[in-house]
Amino acid sequence: MASTVQPDHILSELSELWVSLGEQHGEESAGVLRACAMTLIVLAGAGEDESAIGETLAALMRDHPSRAIVVRIRDIEQPELEARVFAQCWMPLGQRRQICCEQIEISASNGSLADVPAVVLPLVAPDLPVIVWSRLPRLLTSSALKDLSRIAARTIFDSAAFPDPKAALAALAQAAASGWRLADLAWTRLTRWRELIAQIFENPAYSSRLPSIETVAIHYSGIVPQASVHYMEAWLRLCLERAGSRPDFRLYPSGEPSESGLCRIEFAAAGPQGLSVVVRKAEGSAAEVRVDALVNRTVFPEASDHALLREELSISGRDSIHEAVLALAAKTGV
Amino acid sequence: MNVENPFQDPLRFERRVPECTVVIFGANGDLTKRKLLPALYRLMYERRLAPGFAVVGVSRTPMSDDQFRDKMRDSVKKFLEDSPFDDDVWAGFSQGLFYMAGDVHDADSYARLAARLNEIEQARRTGGNVLFYLSTQPSQYASTAKGIGAAGMARGNGWRRIIIEKPFGHDYDSARELSREVHEVFPESEVYRIDHYLGKETVQNILAFRWGNGIFEPLWNRRYVNHVQITAAESIGVEGRGAYYQEAGALRDMIQNHLLQVMATVAMEPSGVFEPNAVRDERAKLLRSIRIMKPGQVNLDSVAGQYGPARVGGADVPGFRQEPGVDPNSRTDTYAAATFFVENWRWAGVPFYIRTGKHLPKRVSEITISFNPAPHFLFGHNGDAATPNLLILRIQPEEGISLKFSSKQPGAGMKLRPVSMDFNYGASFGERSPSAYETLLLDAVLGDATLYSRQDMVEASWSAVRPIMDAWSDSKVDFPNYPAGSWGPKAADEMLARRGHAWRNL
Repeated sequence: MASTVQPDHILSELSELWVSLGEQHGEESAGVLRACAMTLIVLAGAGEDESAIGETLAALMRDHPSRAIVVRIRDIEQPELEARVFAQCWMPLGQRRQICCEQIEISASNGSLADVPAVVLPLVAPDLPVIVWSRLPRLLTSSALKDLSRIAARTIFDSAAFPDPKAALAALAQAAASGWRLADLAWTRLTRWRELIAQIFENPAYSSRLPSIETVAIHYSGIVPQASVHYMEAWLRLCLERAGSRPDFRLYPSGEPSESGLCRIEFAAAGPQGLSVVVRKAEGSAAEVRVDALVNRTVFPEASDHALLREELSISGRDSIHEAVLALAAKTGV
Repeated sequence: MNVENPFQDPLRFERRVPECTVVIFGANGDLTKRKLLPALYRLMYERRLAPGFAVVGVSRTPMSDDQFRDKMRDSVKKFLEDSPFDDDVWAGFSQGLFYMAGDVHDADSYARLAARLNEIEQARRTGGNVLFYLSTQPSQYASTAKGIGAAGMARGNGWRRIIIEKPFGHDYDSARELSREVHEVFPESEVYRIDHYLGKETVQNILAFRWGNGIFEPLWNRRYVNHVQITAAESIGVEGRGAYYQEAGALRDMIQNHLLQVMATVAMEPSGVFEPNAVRDERAKLLRSIRIMKPGQVNLDSVAGQYGPARVGGADVPGFRQEPGVDPNSRTDTYAAATFFVENWRWAGVPFYIRTGKHLPKRVSEITISFNPAPHFLFGHNGDAATPNLLILRIQPEEGISLKFSSKQPGAGMKLRPVSMDFNYGASFGERSPSAYETLLLDAVLGDATLYSRQDMVEASWSAVRPIMDAWSDSKVDFPNYPAGSWGPKAADEMLARRGHAWRNL
């Protein structure tokens, strides 16, 4: 017989959990502080590294305390649905009171996927935003995710996990066009790159030369450009067009490894003054920015899932820049 | 030509920071080592500063650029709070660090500095933007500003701003005179008087709390608020700063600037827009509305204290007069408490109690809004009265907001007990908060003076404390009047008791 899950039962287990947490910490403790700023629904495969997701969520709880609902999807057709509740707690340094967030773990089979929204919807924390993080590319076309995304302030994917970068961007663009508020961690990985570039052109001496930029070269890791490379090209095209420039874009494979898929970006402007800007991933966790003869280095650590999600969770509304770039990247798919 | 940056993404990127040079006068001093350089390094680490950003340190000690860089490297490593030190970032950052030995009274030093700034402007393309930071002796502020002006450095290709550290004068008249002298060189719009208290994240959060929520502001007035308490307690003494401190005292060092600014932040009217001058206009208006105490009132509404020797935590703690560099007969206040009233429709009759002191039992800064009790208490037993609701804005060390209210005790009967609903800043926003100096330096580079004091604000706060200073200088309080490690003189408790109030037990 297929197992089932009653949301009311989970909610009462959650209440009991808080009572027992309070009782665990005798007279000496200052008790437990419950923190909740959103509901985070994580859709993951049953085969995925449980502890890695757990660590990401635990790290995330400190920045974005939430009711986390982790749905583990097993690749079997026989209907199966189970749930358990527990708490993620930590003691801030130098304080007497523990801070705890609640976590609900639901195990569902492929055959029960359609039942997941009905279980999850009553479990979301009232009046707080709902964020869906789908770690499974295949769910993009599932009705279960479609139902969850209706109540989600944002639905997060990682197009780097999709087998075909161009197809991934096209599918995401289509979902965005149909009204989903999407985030893509492949785009988030570019924030530091983009910020470095924006910072350079904050200087009027350089931004005044943007219209004369003639070539942009993007060096990427691997043989085929990842989705993030397409994103970068589309973003640069949009930005430079606004500055009155339509440069020649060149993409080059590079032997260097890079977590974001990008190794180096070069801008070259013509004219009597000229301008040469190079932003590149340097050795270790550093980036080098070269503007003509001026060289600077900055920290550029690889972004963990936790850091990427933290950035996405801090955005509550629409990300119009990502939407525009996604639409262009899907169209050009260069 | 000002060209819009098409690469900006305000949703994800931090605020735009233009290229500029920060010139620090007093670069060999404690503030530069402990606060300014670590804050600037941290901003570079966080990629908040532009690639061509530069710092020129100026002080009398002869040093080369490289020696200055080495010295600052040691300081940054030592005083960098909760942040890693990264050699790569330092390598880039230190390329923009320069040093010039010079005397603030020597015209030639300013001429050399001007030449150096021109070189840096060309090499690092700073666009001629310069932020002067006066971290010298206060007595040198005016002459330094004039030296900058005489060398033509107050004008250039970019903007020119000046940051002045507190104290802004030692009384009303000297504050006015200082402003007059600085204005000979810099217009008021380019003068940034730094009050690091206003840069604290939780002080800024007061504005977010008041104006970002609809439910509190309607209660924020004399009809519902019974009184307000502002406490800034330090558990340490003068820690080797006795010589400086005995010239200042708690009233001048804390209340005149930091705590009156905090009070203004709590009590000011909302501005129409969140823009520097609009916010500062409201803050200034509030400070000008503080009732000036009459001479006969000062004894009732203010209390001076000085700590005496005591045993604290099993160790002997010297009294203030026994501290190194302190006059054994010093009459300096190491504790100050005062009751202020705001004369406007919102706050008429509501006392604002402010206290601050050295060597109090613990380090804590809090603002407490004490609301009126329920008008008719239904649940009294044996004459129990309603417990007032308290809204507590915690500034340090544990940042957050608590609301205390009454709740029924479980079980039979109708017994009430106070409970607390807590918002813990660290629990809800685990991200590291920038230090006050990071916030304020970035603001100055961006030209945002919201958190800086303006001349009229400084003068209004000197006016508010002037009668107290005058009365205390004439009075003969028997110092020391509180032992180190206690909550201050008994007279401070009596000051509140006269109006039926008591300091919160912190």
